[in-house]
Amino acid sequence: MNPLLRKLFRKGAPERAAIDAFVAETEFPLVDGSDVTFVFRGAAEAVYLRCWISGLDTAQPLQSLGDTELWATTIELPKGSRIEYKFEVQTNGNRELIVDPLNDVLAHDPFGANSVCQAHGYERPSWTLHDPGARAGELRTAQIKSRVFNGDRELQVYVPARFRSNRRYPLLIVHDGADYLRFAALKDVLDNLIHALEIPPLIAALIHSPDRLTEYGADDRHASFLSEELLPFMSTSYPLIDEPRARGIMGASFGGVASLHAAWRNPGQFGQLLLQSGSFAFSDIGRHQRGPAFDSVAEFMNEFREQPGNPADRIYMSCGIYESLIYENRSLVPRLQSQGIEVRFEEARDAHNWENWRDRLRNGLSWLFPGPLWLVYE
Amino acid sequence: MSSAGQIRVLLGPQSPQQNIAEAVAEAGLPAGPLAVISAAWQEAEGDIDVISKLLGRELEDLYLYRRGEELMANHPELEAAARLRQHKLMDRQRMYRIRLKQLSIAARHMLKENGDSELVASEQRHAIAQLRALDRHHLHRSESIWRDFCDAYNPDSYPELARQAQELGEIFDRCAGVVITGGNVAILINRMRLFGIDEQLEKCNIVAWSAGAMALAERVVLFHDRSPEGRRDAEVLGAGCGVIPGYVFLPNTKQRLRTGDRLRVELLSRRFSPDTCVALDNGAALRLDDSGVQQANTVRRLNHDGRFVKLRAA
Repeated sequence: MNPLLRKLFRKGAPERAAIDAFVAETEFPLVDGSDVTFVFRGAAEAVYLRCWISGLDTAQPLQSLGDTELWATTIELPKGSRIEYKFEVQTNGNRELIVDPLNDVLAHDPFGANSVCQAHGYERPSWTLHDPGARAGELRTAQIKSRVFNGDRELQVYVPARFRSNRRYPLLIVHDGADYLRFAALKDVLDNLIHALEIPPLIAALIHSPDRLTEYGADDRHASFLSEELLPFMSTSYPLIDEPRARGIMGASFGGVASLHAAWRNPGQFGQLLLQSGSFAFSDIGRHQRGPAFDSVAEFMNEFREQPGNPADRIYMSCGIYESLIYENRSLVPRLQSQGIEVRFEEARDAHNWENWRDRLRNGLSWLFPGPLWLVYE
Repeated sequence: MSSAGQIRVLLGPQSPQQNIAEAVAEAGLPAGPLAVISAAWQEAEGDIDVISKLLGRELEDLYLYRRGEELMANHPELEAAARLRQHKLMDRQRMYRIRLKQLSIAARHMLKENGDSELVASEQRHAIAQLRALDRHHLHRSESIWRDFCDAYNPDSYPELARQAQELGEIFDRCAGVVITGGNVAILINRMRLFGIDEQLEKCNIVAWSAGAMALAERVVLFHDRSPEGRRDAEVLGAGCGVIPGYVFLPNTKQRLRTGDRLRVELLSRRFSPDTCVALDNGAALRLDDSGVQQANTVRRLNHDGRFVKLRAA
């Protein structure tokens, strides 16, 4: 038992007031070295910890602690880990997923919020936080009339601070741009990294899809949209460096697939790829074991693994080791390297979520787009 | 401005500790206004109130960055030529880097070798000689790109440049010396060369820190062992003004270099020998004149055995 809980229970089941005081003055979950204890307080028939970590039980039961309405379970989490979780609470035979009421730290994603457990040694990187001292870039809204998708497509364009029309800038295309802004602090990250000279001032095209599982799932229409519509639009609207090495595409999950697929379909156009937890499902034999949304992805990945070509000169990949996708991502690295592509692959003690992707942005962006730090000696 | 027995004061970064006022006072710089080259600050060029207050002197910024921007805006053909030059230089740097990586790996491996001391020493010398040859080759190639540009766009053939050069010369004439700030060393070199300032510095008293000091050597060497993109091998960017031959200036080594990695330090020191690699950290002040080092306060040099040792006055 966690030492704090042991102390609370040292004279048997504590009184309600003692639990109130304990809950008020304690941070949850309880981190004791690599042991992390999740605590739930409330009336329930059963409580489960749900953290979707590859390698752990999907639903780990919490034990009721005496006659106290307290429930707890302990798991081992290596140093520096960060996981997201929910409690599944069963009352009157119904199960409900809730965030941890005792933990204020939440991570948001397009599906809502999850509670965050930061194991011993994890710290949110300072460059992901808003820095009032960093000169702020600007977000502009634009629209493209898309022939490929037969309709208008809205995008946001990040324009760096001190933008000058007589300069030329690298271009970064960001899949799920709105989510990167909202859940991975992308604007603050770009502002901070540019301010710190770790990346050059760049223009980012933040795109969104109304049907991402289709369009980002190795859809040729999307590859054409990037190459034939978005790129020309950006090139005529902004002063861009007209070279593949100064054009990058990034994305997470299905956005990673869309990035790789678009570069593969348009060889020589995009020199840099940043792929985070790419959903690179494939099958060596038989059918892949994932859902129907992955059918087109697996078809593409199988073809890609046979004939990777040269989608880009440099590829930064990252993946959480608590993701089931770690296998696919690891497998892809040597295949890309065998093509002479310069690959940097980073694993993190994290899972398939936006904060994992946020925390890897510095290494990825500064490697693909090195800033003038190398030239600046203050 | 003086023409003989010029004073050169070289400093480390002026943050957190500022020692420029103390160093200028100790150097005995003649009274009078000082010209300032703060082009390395780019858009923040001319923001020199703090230095002015510290020095208690009238300062006059040359605004080389702004002048360059205006010149380019008024003359698209010049801008295109400058862009082409930069493109070629960057391409050259990229190719140099590819070759440098392999030679540096080989040299580091050689420096780790034990065994027959004569054999090992000979191979080590050869590995380092290859690095030096590559550095020389790169320097030579980069200079030829610059020469082509300068031949086409010089004050003789370009009246506006001639007018600017004359204005700058007049500022130099009424100043007792020039202060060159830190910042982006590539921008600094570019702007100084564009306006021919590099040639005028020979006759000036100079106070320079960080990038400003780097630009005064014959070779500008870039280095950073702790950048987020990872450790890189030191690179020759190109020629400096050459006002202070025999040295390679490395500012802020405590932050930028893995100073405890004796093998890296040894390689750096031996690779750029016979030039002396001088570490200019915050608080360092080095004063030189025609006869060599006159004063060296908390200035260290990189030794061939991989250690940092105190640089002493002659």
